[in-house]
Amino acid sequence: MSDSGPVLVLRDAAFRHPGGAGIAGLRLSVAPGEAVAVIGPNGAGKSTLLRGILGLVPLVEGSMRVGGSEHASDGMIGFLPQSSDLDPDFPINLEQVVMQGRYRRLGLLRWPGRRDREVVRGALETVGLADRARRRFGELSGGQRQRGMLARALASEPVLLLLDEPFNGLDQANRDALIETVRTLKRRGVAIIVSTHDLELARQVCDTVLLVNGGQVGCGPVDDVLTLENVQECFEGVGVEIDEHTVVVPGHEGH
Amino acid sequence: MSLGDALFGAFALPFMGRALLVLLVLSIVAGIVGVLVNLRGLEFISDGLTHAVFPGLAIGLAVGGTAGLVPGAAIAALIGAVLLTLFLRAGVTSDAAVAVVLTATFSVGVIVVSRSDDYAGELEALLFGRVLTIAPEDVVPLVVVSLVAAVAVGATLKQQVFRAFDPHGSRAAGDRGLALDLVLNASIALVVVAGASTVGTLLVLALLIVPGASARLATVHLWRLFPIAASVGAVSAWLGLAVGFGASVGAGIDLPAGSTVVAVFVVVYALMLAYRVVRDRTTRSAPAPVPARTRARTAGER
Repeated sequence: MSDSGPVLVLRDAAFRHPGGAGIAGLRLSVAPGEAVAVIGPNGAGKSTLLRGILGLVPLVEGSMRVGGSEHASDGMIGFLPQSSDLDPDFPINLEQVVMQGRYRRLGLLRWPGRRDREVVRGALETVGLADRARRRFGELSGGQRQRGMLARALASEPVLLLLDEPFNGLDQANRDALIETVRTLKRRGVAIIVSTHDLELARQVCDTVLLVNGGQVGCGPVDDVLTLENVQECFEGVGVEIDEHTVVVPGHEGH
Repeated sequence: MSLGDALFGAFALPFMGRALLVLLVLSIVAGIVGVLVNLRGLEFISDGLTHAVFPGLAIGLAVGGTAGLVPGAAIAALIGAVLLTLFLRAGVTSDAAVAVVLTATFSVGVIVVSRSDDYAGELEALLFGRVLTIAPEDVVPLVVVSLVAAVAVGATLKQQVFRAFDPHGSRAAGDRGLALDLVLNASIALVVVAGASTVGTLLVLALLIVPGASARLATVHLWRLFPIAASVGAVSAWLGLAVGFGASVGAGIDLPAGSTVVAVFVVVYALMLAYRVVRDRTTRSAPAPVPARTRARTAGER
């Protein structure tokens, strides 16, 4: 992979679950340090797209290249799932959760070494939770857990980071911390794809917007694509209000 | 007879020494595997596997005598482990799947045993074990079966814990859930095999469940769970054999060895529970609730 080449290229790609639901017609190229907001109504296929890039949903049409090759190598893609339903009683601390991000690189038999612990500490510092490393994961607040999961995604030292609705249910402080983290990562050259309903976030940290609704509705620089017209087309029938920053889509806010 | 004789001297007797060796290895491995059983909530599946092993033991006994026990049980257990894993992935709810496997295989076992001349004696040995009559030639197979389970779980331990904590995250990180489930369920099955020939198919469950549950009471530190569970298993097995021997030889009370071992396991669990309750009372400032079973069984979760 050359340093300047795109991290991800989708050419007329379609991802489809064996059951049928999917997303098609995707044309996208993501450069290092670029942040892409994937915006669309519920059921538009945003999660399917992210899971397809991860290899969890089959690519059924077109082509995908990650880091210049057909298959992502171990740890190349980091993934922050939608707020997960995890057992708060599970006996595990934050540091151990973040270390799980190293497992893919470690493989089956190798156990974490000094370098792995350094990467984990760095990831915790990046998300601002270094002082909580030894706290039991279940004792952390929802926002801290979410940032902890982000640190886990970072611990694999990804060149591409996928964030699935990362701002759902976050309070302002955690939201600001997450935005700051995204900015830091961009400066380091990490490419980011974030699915969101939150147009403010798209404007604040993203360079590119991908509007989707079962397929690609529009794609380009934020200011060109994030117009009332486009958003209305994308959210057709859902009812959209748009102001300076925010799109209000009934049934979407407060998730 | 002195306390020292019961705790140490007794094991100079060859049959007691064999029982101790096999039970120690088995209890340590069962403790380690049992932590994963606890973290994944696989208790009921383990129960299903103990029953699935029964016809294997019965057929092995009918075909090859006591030498056929371990191979027969191993084959039955591995078939049971694969079937249960696939059932659960196919979306059959775990309780129904386990219940089907459990009752069907158990009845097959009883039918096979009923063909033998010494029906009651054979049935009792299979259900409640023959820990004090382990033949010298059976020691190596039983230890090997336990160690294979230990190696399988040890090689996948990080990934097993990851999957127990966050099955979706584990999959997204590239782990293969089916492979991990097969390895874990097969390891449980192997522990059940070794246990079935020593403490019996009904009692082996205690060796799998109690040390893991005790460790959960003792600590919230992930990587301490495994040595604690292994220690609980080893100490309980040793004390159980010693108590049984002391009661029989010293006091003339004839206690069945396998059941005595299991009783000691449960007593150790009760002590751990008491310790936890007292500790939580005295450290009110940082309450750590007794871990509740809040998760559904997730072995087949996609």
